[in-house]
Amino acid sequence: MIKIQGLTFTYKDGARPALAGLELDIRDGEFVGIIGSCGAGKSTLTYALNGVVPHHYTGDMYGSVTVEGLDTVESSPEEISRYVGSVFQDVDGQMVSAVVEDEVLFGMENFGVPRSEIESRLEQALAEAGISELRHRATSTLSGGQKQKVAIAAIIALRPKIIVLDEPTGELDPRSSRRVFDTLRELNENHGITIVVVEQKIMLLCEYVKRLLLMDGGRVVLDGAVGDVLRQTEVFETAGVNIPRVATLARELTKLGYYSGATPTGLAQAETMMREVLGNG
Amino acid sequence: MTGLLDYVQGESFLHRLNPLTKLVLSFALCAAVFITDSHLIIIGILAAVLAFSAAAGTVSRSLRILSSLGKLSILLFIVQILFVRDGKVLLHLPFGLVITDSGVLFSLLFVLRFMTATLPLALMLAVTRISDLANVLVKSLHMPYSYAFALTTAIRFIPLFAEEMSGIMETQTARGVEFDTKNFFKKVRLLLPLCVPLLISSVRKTEGGAISAELRGFNLRKRNCGFREYPLRVADVLAVLFGVAVILTVSVF
Repeated sequence: MIKIQGLTFTYKDGARPALAGLELDIRDGEFVGIIGSCGAGKSTLTYALNGVVPHHYTGDMYGSVTVEGLDTVESSPEEISRYVGSVFQDVDGQMVSAVVEDEVLFGMENFGVPRSEIESRLEQALAEAGISELRHRATSTLSGGQKQKVAIAAIIALRPKIIVLDEPTGELDPRSSRRVFDTLRELNENHGITIVVVEQKIMLLCEYVKRLLLMDGGRVVLDGAVGDVLRQTEVFETAGVNIPRVATLARELTKLGYYSGATPTGLAQAETMMREVLGNG
Repeated sequence: MTGLLDYVQGESFLHRLNPLTKLVLSFALCAAVFITDSHLIIIGILAAVLAFSAAAGTVSRSLRILSSLGKLSILLFIVQILFVRDGKVLLHLPFGLVITDSGVLFSLLFVLRFMTATLPLALMLAVTRISDLANVLVKSLHMPYSYAFALTTAIRFIPLFAEEMSGIMETQTARGVEFDTKNFFKKVRLLLPLCVPLLISSVRKTEGGAISAELRGFNLRKRNCGFREYPLRVADVLAVLFGVAVILTVSVF
């Protein structure tokens, strides 16, 4: 459970608020994607969820953020991170160890996971991230996609209820990006972990998430099921975010009266739409 | 191509020793080299260290280190030999310089010491993971974890920064900066401005690392949090006894 009410945050030395009166509710088990142009406040929102704001990056904060019943201002980042795991864009910067195994151990050691549980959790986390065979490898020898999965495994091992990811595929090629999202989908569907992911690749995001948020100027301007959100193309234009071409196509077809169904969120649905349109015409 | 001080994967008996034992042993060998005044004993220690690296499968690396130290040693030898003026004169050189027998012996001792004292530490780093070393320093020697973390992070970041630097250099080369100039001073002058972007990107990286560590409970960590155990085995006791024996032997002779 995440509940954000009237959150306004201005970084120390910041000229204008990074978040301005943001309202957001996320229920357990949701898979939420966040999109927006640069400076829309996406990263700041992720920082607000894991307590980096206001504990690491200080500034003026109004409103409240409650994560699993914890007020993020009153709780320390360590307390919050028992529920919220965080993965960042910089695959090298977020590593703390030279060996994959140590990277996954790090958090478990710190949080005092009982010795008897550590080994099984370690194996399980590596297996769920699909990197069991990398266990003894040096992190410096891994590809970007593999490193990002190590970062995710290190978080899974801590058994968080929520995983927050800030552009986890920012440094990855399309194929590795999909693998990372496959892992996320599995964690969401099989383990009920709430996933909140900020991503620039809108097509990829739309294919995987169930709920899509569009941010602009430190606010959530659109929020809903992917198909419904993609329909509102003017809002995307104002926010400076390109919508997938299939959504543009659907809009044009609807305007011309050839199509009246839901906005496709992936290639498969786009194909169905085209078959329907061509079949009719 | 790995650096000369990187960890070399292996399963030899040296790899399996307790990191603390390896630390003690390498320092003992190092100390022995400085205690003794006998050329033969130093050569003996050198041979022993080379035998150890052969057993650990890192002998080619040890020889590479020796050969690069050797080049420096020749220079040191020449300078040193000209400084010593007592003893029997073996050779008169121009400008009143002389080469004496004690000069030759002393300089030889000097460079042998220089080469032999470096090798055990290099070998220790080759057969010990830095993280194991840091863990054992925290657990056994009660070093604060943040120090150990700084140590391992610093070593881990060296190749990352090197990569970053070569990235910046390639970009600048593409824009026409001549880093391949033969003039050393010109090259330094061209490289200096790159320190700023390197510093900025490094600080950004370390900041990301700090946040990531903090969110995984870095501040909760206590001395006994480490999962890995480093038990002392019979082999460790024997290795330490060997180190003590070497020290005692060289102190007597």
